[in-house]
Amino acid sequence: MPNESRYTIHELYPYAASVLTAGLAIALCLSKEIIWAAVALVLAVTSFLAARRLTREIKKANEQKCHLDQQLIQSQKLAAIGELSSGIAHEINNPLAIIGQETEWMKQIMKGDGLQAPDAPDELRDSLREIVSQVDRCKEITHKLLDFARKKEPLIQGADVNKLIEDMARLVEKEASQKNIKLVRNYQKDLPRVQTDPPLLRQVVLNLLNNAAYAIGKDGDISISTRQSANNSVELVFSDTGSGIPKEHLDKIFDPFFTTKPPGKGTGLGLSISHSIIVKLGGRITVASEVGCGATFTIHLPVEASKGEV
Amino acid sequence: MKEFRVLIVDDELDFLETIVKRLKRRQVDATGIDSGIKALELLEKEHFDVVILDVRMPGLDGIETLKEMKKKRPLLEVIMLTGHASVESGVQGMQYGAFDYVMKPADINDLLEKIKAAHERKALHEEKVRETKMI
Ligand SMILES: Nc1ncnc2c1ncn2[C@@H]1O[C@H](COP(=O)(O)OP(=O)(O)OP(=O)(O)O)[C@@H](O)[C@H]1O
Ligand SMILES: [Mg+2]
Repeated sequence: MPNESRYTIHELYPYAASVLTAGLAIALCLSKEIIWAAVALVLAVTSFLAARRLTREIKKANEQKCHLDQQLIQSQKLAAIGELSSGIAHEINNPLAIIGQETEWMKQIMKGDGLQAPDAPDELRDSLREIVSQVDRCKEITHKLLDFARKKEPLIQGADVNKLIEDMARLVEKEASQKNIKLVRNYQKDLPRVQTDPPLLRQVVLNLLNNAAYAIGKDGDISISTRQSANNSVELVFSDTGSGIPKEHLDKIFDPFFTTKPPGKGTGLGLSISHSIIVKLGGRITVASEVGCGATFTIHLPVEASKGEV
Repeated sequence: MKEFRVLIVDDELDFLETIVKRLKRRQVDATGIDSGIKALELLEKEHFDVVILDVRMPGLDGIETLKEMKKKRPLLEVIMLTGHASVESGVQGMQYGAFDYVMKPADINDLLEKIKAAHERKALHEEKVRETKMI
């Protein structure tokens, strides 16, 4: 018999007919209608067997479904890993291709008495410089990736978030002002001190400010505001008057390697790193944007340290 | 607060001397040195808790020095010193694991507060390492 405790009431419905006919059989038996009782008993047994068969089939189907779900999750995971690896491969392949071309070119120059040519030293130096810069780019990518992969546990310290943000704002302000980008501050004065990981939060703020400045390019505003919000948390809002984000990109911008910068410019890791940092800090980060009207990134952070699981 | 040692690295000797003097006046055990290479060598021999590092230096620049320091002494906390002309490197420094930065000419109270926070973080970090070793 199946273990009843694992069955919900619905799964017992198929047994209703057998229970009823069994009851009927007993009743007929008591009223000495032996033949009818026997018929009812046979019916009870067959319907019981049918019901049992039915529930087993359902159970099997359910198990198969579970298995399929698991397979689906696994294949989604694999797809994500695949996407990530092709992102990495792509990012690294470009510099590698350039390095390859440059070395070919250098070999070409050094062939025969090519080295005697008057512009040979300059050509070689140029090639070398390009190779060095491509190697640096690869290093930057692997550094960021490692940073991303390393499960750095946050170290929780009290922080004055207004001051923390203001420090970072000053860091980007100089370059921004040269492009006529204005930083507008709206700090809530009596914001509570937040238990968080200050250097990690600084990185996030820098990423958001840099993205905003990039999206504006020239002439525009970046507004920064902080306020206390419900559930003992603080809200940090970064809005810009930049290009905005198309709808079809909104759910991709936090993915590793998603970038709309020209090849060789952005790694597309800024927002995915920021996202994982904020989650680690027990908070969340959201985006709202409309093309042509700029973008707004909002961070919610708990005031008390609460460890978010990644 | 427990005693801790601060190393200041800057090639501008005037600035270096003033800052060491000012910190000492505030009971901070501060040592000054004028190049990234020398700083790395000193770290091999002596113990420091917090480093204040100029981003712009001839020879090994601040970012390279920072990377080396973090490689050798991962628990060391580094505060970058940036000038108005070197904000870009300040940004880089933050990305390479600096604890914070201070804009030159550093306000001594601001700097002191950051040194304390950096030291607090180092202590927390050491405590955490000890805990995980005990398990
Ligand atoms: N404020 C913003 N306004 C408009 N688009 C944005 C904004 N912030 C991010 N994006 C979009 O999200 C993409 C991903 O951003 P992310 O910071 O992850 O990488 P990136 O800025 O392209 O590269 P990197 O950060 O390495 O320089 C950007 O390329 C851009 O398309
Ligand atoms: Mg970015």
